[in-house]
Amino acid sequence: MSTKTPTEADILRPVNNLSKKYLALFGAAGLAFGAFLVAWMYQLYVGMSVTGLSDWGSGGGVTWGLYIGAFIWWVGIAHGGIILSAAVRLLGMDRYMPVARLAELLTIAGLSAAGFYILVHMGRPDRMVTSVLGHYHITVNNSPLVWDVTVITAYFVLTATYLALTLRYDITRLRDDLPNYLEPIYKVLTLGYTEEEDQIVERMVWWLALAIIIMAPLLLHGGVIPWLFAVLPGMPAWFSAVQGPQFLTIALTSAISGVIIVAYAFRRAYDWDHIMTDDVFRGLLLWLGFFCLLFLWLQLQQNVVGLFAAPVSTEVAQEATITHPIYITAMALVFGTLAYIFAQTIRPSLFTKTRAIVAALAVLFATLIEKLIFVVEGFLHPEFEIYAATPGEYFPSAIELLSLVGTIGMVVLIFLIVSKVVPVVELHAVEHMRGDHGHGHEHEGHEDPDEAATKQEVNA
Amino acid sequence: MSTDDESFHPLGQEWETELEGMLDETEYDSDLGMQMAQDAMRVTKGELSEAEFHEKYHDDVMEEFDVDDRPTKEAYEQAQEEQKGTATRMLEAFDGEGEETRRDTMKKMGLGAAAVGFGAWGVTDDGPEMNLGAAQEGDEDGDGDDGTQLGMVLDLERCDGCLSCVTACSEENQLDQGVNWMYILDYEEPGEDGGRSRNRLIRPCQHCTDAPCEKVCPTTARHTRDKDGLVLTDYDVCIGCRYCQVACPYGVNYFQWDEPDVSTDEIEEMHSDMDGDHMTSDEDRWVDSRAPRGTMSKCTMCPTRQDGHMGDEMVGTTACEEACPPDAINFGDMNDPDSRPRQYLSNVVQSRAEHMIADESPNREDVEEAYAFLDGEIELLDMQYLDGDWDRSEIEGVMYLNDEIETADLEYLIDAEEYDSTEEAEEAAAEALREVVIAVLENEFEVGDDDDDELSEDDLETLVDAILGDASEDDVDSDDFERATDALDAVITSSEESIQDVVDRYESREITPAEVEESLLILREEEEEPWVSEAGITDEDTAQQVIESYAGDESSTFKLLEDMGTNPNVTYIGNEPGPSAEQVDGPVAYEQVGLTDNRKEVLDESTVGDTGMDLGGW
Repeated sequence: MSTKTPTEADILRPVNNLSKKYLALFGAAGLAFGAFLVAWMYQLYVGMSVTGLSDWGSGGGVTWGLYIGAFIWWVGIAHGGIILSAAVRLLGMDRYMPVARLAELLTIAGLSAAGFYILVHMGRPDRMVTSVLGHYHITVNNSPLVWDVTVITAYFVLTATYLALTLRYDITRLRDDLPNYLEPIYKVLTLGYTEEEDQIVERMVWWLALAIIIMAPLLLHGGVIPWLFAVLPGMPAWFSAVQGPQFLTIALTSAISGVIIVAYAFRRAYDWDHIMTDDVFRGLLLWLGFFCLLFLWLQLQQNVVGLFAAPVSTEVAQEATITHPIYITAMALVFGTLAYIFAQTIRPSLFTKTRAIVAALAVLFATLIEKLIFVVEGFLHPEFEIYAATPGEYFPSAIELLSLVGTIGMVVLIFLIVSKVVPVVELHAVEHMRGDHGHGHEHEGHEDPDEAATKQEVNA
Repeated sequence: MSTDDESFHPLGQEWETELEGMLDETEYDSDLGMQMAQDAMRVTKGELSEAEFHEKYHDDVMEEFDVDDRPTKEAYEQAQEEQKGTATRMLEAFDGEGEETRRDTMKKMGLGAAAVGFGAWGVTDDGPEMNLGAAQEGDEDGDGDDGTQLGMVLDLERCDGCLSCVTACSEENQLDQGVNWMYILDYEEPGEDGGRSRNRLIRPCQHCTDAPCEKVCPTTARHTRDKDGLVLTDYDVCIGCRYCQVACPYGVNYFQWDEPDVSTDEIEEMHSDMDGDHMTSDEDRWVDSRAPRGTMSKCTMCPTRQDGHMGDEMVGTTACEEACPPDAINFGDMNDPDSRPRQYLSNVVQSRAEHMIADESPNREDVEEAYAFLDGEIELLDMQYLDGDWDRSEIEGVMYLNDEIETADLEYLIDAEEYDSTEEAEEAAAEALREVVIAVLENEFEVGDDDDDELSEDDLETLVDAILGDASEDDVDSDDFERATDALDAVITSSEESIQDVVDRYESREITPAEVEESLLILREEEEEPWVSEAGITDEDTAQQVIESYAGDESSTFKLLEDMGTNPNVTYIGNEPGPSAEQVDGPVAYEQVGLTDNRKEVLDESTVGDTGMDLGGW
């Protein structure tokens, strides 16, 4: 535990310093992303046949594969990120204030990756605007895919607004220490700023947070995304009312894991031990454990219903799922993580940051392969499984696998670039930690005066 | 709930007054609304029948709203009548009227709505057709005035798996290898020894009325054509998200994963001699022939043909139908009872019934003859159809014995005309008669040499002699003699009774070949009054029921995965595959006719970094 006091200089360090490691990571991430862009161009040139996909049915394959699985994965990470940040604001979980903005950025980056996957997945991405927007007023009534696009867009706008509003406070106060060559950006971001707006912005952000929290289970990973699958009776592996809650738990586990990894990376790179304290990681890990428990519980629901006395097609699909090595691996990883987290709760000495990172990586990997097998399994065991070529064959092609590397590179790039423009830790967090009790320790029931005043106004 | 007020409404006077206020605000008659609501309440309590309710307000509703979409009393009674039929389910399923319980529920929901006044309330927003009109919802999927809905009736019993249709479709639409818009598959049910009739499925697109592919499409590229109900893909709009393929429970979609083998220029050139280019429809949308790269395709049911671009004679045909050697495919308007598929569907039962009654008795002529006999217009021996235990020679023999026939008139005992002289004929007749008497007596008595037999062989001979007058009656037991003469008389009476029985069976409406024959004639309107008597089949409804109960089981029909709620417009005749059915090799392999069955084999060639691994096989 550090004894340093967080300062403005701490959070400005990423903006004003350029290290070789940074450049190396930037280069690697850029290469990964660039390589996939080239691969995508090739896919556009030749056609989707460069993937391992085919038609389900007599066509002997699966229609959707890694692209869609990874799309859901990124959306999950994104949704969970903003939920975490919103919860910090709404529920006053001040302990996590230092990672709130990272979580918001994870949402922006994750949504960007997800949106990119939508384009990559389509046969004719060039028609996205004319075909989808042009008929929006008709299709929004029916197509879960349009709901999906709508909600992701809404989410992106909400998060961006949220981020932009909170940045105004920081940029105005830190402007003198920010690089001059980015002046135009700062000007736009702080357009018309006055100190009187602080309280109003605070309240707006609170409402935005409320909107995000309400939308999350109803529309986002608890609704629209799982409904893409859950509403289709032709695919018994998907057709289930538990899909929404399941997706939400997967989103939350993967998002917390994502935040743990991102926060750890920044802490290590910029010596933020006193900002992102072990305490934060312990807390995040405990939340991860809780959501892992929910995750496994909902998987259990689906397995029991699907295996006990289900209709023929449902049982076939569920049996195939539960015996699939990928599914077993995913469940084992989540279960292992859960076991570790509960163990370290009982015996705190079991906690190390490395183990926390391993747990987070394990969950991220588990949720990715679980999503992949979830998508694929639907096509492998449809209701109408009469075809000799069903279950079909599928394995992601090199281009599809490269898309994972590419989008991870893309997300890293977004973090690297943003961290060079604005502070990725809120000034509020620093002020808060410096407040009465310096070292990032937070005592239950104790609020600093500013916070209490704001809350009273909100309540009023 | 209040019990002391005068309200008919279960929620009490206050609520009722409130509803009345709502009604007052509409332009329609509140008194009528309240009165109907009150009576609707009585219907729900069973005090008033639905038919009476409908009848009671018909004139008022017509006056008020100019339209009464509610089932009329006649319609109601007819529906009840239809329900009585035991074997009508098949046609009902076809008409979309097989959901009686749902319809009834809908009707009651409509009445319930009326009872709380909401039906009348709805008038303000939605016009009279919505008023009390939930009762009509069940009729939506019925046939009638819905316009054209193209579809198919596929006779699985006739399909021989030759793949001619698949080839024809592929050639007509320039499809890539493995893109089998039309697909034929043989299948096996688990634990089946193959003893059942053939298990084969013809799988075009089902052109569903409630197409899930269309519902999920984010672009309207997948659409239902207004004019004929075809479900098509606009290749100019499709973004290739493949959600339609995901949502379709039948697996009929084929994505264009790469550049198609045949270019649009080539397609245009191929069809330079016809009106269109075999791609653009009358609606000016690119919906026909193979899809361009990056978009979705599936069976179109040949819009180019339907639009008349290939000539008037091609309208109402599809490439697969035309190519099918055994005529298993019947394409046409599923809403038109006179269309080929609808006719086929009704004729399937009829032609099977016709086949079943061929050479079966009693037919219509036999019944006619039986009536004629009972009326004394025809002699017993002149009857063509005798259903009793005795044949004509035996009957004639007994009549000859009773001196009712002259030797020269004998036809069946012997043929008197074959004999040159009366003596010879008499001799032969006597010999034949003896055999007849022996046969009758052997039937009556237990004859044998055992102790418990009634007559020994010798006794029988003596008895026969006595009956024929060759021996004295005194030589035999008088009881035996009496019993023997009774038995001989019974040959005549039982034969006469069997004729009466034919008439009795006919009049009791037992379904015999005669009734089936009548029914077929009625349904085909070949004769105005084909029935033998008024006690027979005289109306079309009954005729239909007769046919179905006689031959209906032989041709069960189904729609594929009907419980998915897709309302498919393809009706199958034959066996429906079960949930565990699994495809097996058919009589003709796809490769044999230059086609590819599994498209993955073709697509794998351009997969980048194909590891050969398979998540499905783990």
